Amino acid sequence: MVKNASRAQLFLFSAATNNPHRIHYDRAYAKSEGHSDLLVHGPLQGAWLHQFVSDWAGPTGRVLALSWQNRGRAFPERDLTFRGRVTEVRGDEVALEVWEEDPTGAVLMPGTARVRLPRRG
Amino acid sequence: MSGLIPEETVALVGELLDEPMTSTITAKESQRFALAAGDMNPIYFDESAAREAGYRGIVVPPIFLAWALAPYRPLDELREDGLYTARGKRVALRVKRVMFAAEEWEYLAPVYVGDTMTATVRLESLEEKHGSSGPFVLQTTETRYTNQQGVLVARARGRSIAR
Repeated sequence: MVKNASRAQLFLFSAATNNPHRIHYDRAYAKSEGHSDLLVHGPLQGAWLHQFVSDWAGPTGRVLALSWQNRGRAFPERDLTFRGRVTEVRGDEVALEVWEEDPTGAVLMPGTARVRLPRRG
Repeated sequence: MSGLIPEETVALVGELLDEPMTSTITAKESQRFALAAGDMNPIYFDESAAREAGYRGIVVPPIFLAWALAPYRPLDELREDGLYTARGKRVALRVKRVMFAAEEWEYLAPVYVGDTMTATVRLESLEEKHGSSGPFVLQTTETRYTNQQGVLVARARGRSIAR
């Protein structure tokens, strides 16, 4: 799954979460804190990771647990790619390793998930 | 004796950091969140799609709980960087800055539009550690979300690094 946040999306996410932090909409302020551009919210990346796992599990699958570490900065107008691999299958429960990469392939957000998949047949 | 964690802060470990917060989640705020995140999963928008997927009504994106229960605040509580001033009990540490580091969510039951949710935040632990760039404190809080039936629907652990 690839996400690419416009500046308008950052604004809308700030509004939807009542988050007035200036690093997400005031570029001059973000630069004064040493960032080269506006920053994509950590929780927006968390919401994307949830979407990635939930879409993979399908409508009758269930996300049981999700965790992530915020390791690197993510910027708007750049592709952010979500990937994952199955690490364990136990009955109908699957453990996943998941992560978000920036366009250079650097991992910005490593995480893990536990999902219950629908039984076949 | 710990260098970065004052004695009176150690006493806060295990305590609730604020009064429990309660709010009833509306379809409009839940869907505004899903749309802003670009998540068009029909279970968040369409009752029949949600029922077909085995839910009893329109589902709330569980991560939205983190904001659904936060109170609105007056403008005079904004800081220079745009963040609101801290509420509740202050976890005082001898550090310059606090950085958000990780989140761990457990989803135990679905959250539905119209549910009245309550969140309690507890300081779970404070650990002083030594990294390559000096000492730091790993602070862990646990937020528990319960619905109007008293069912624990989600548990979120937040970790931050203070140095």
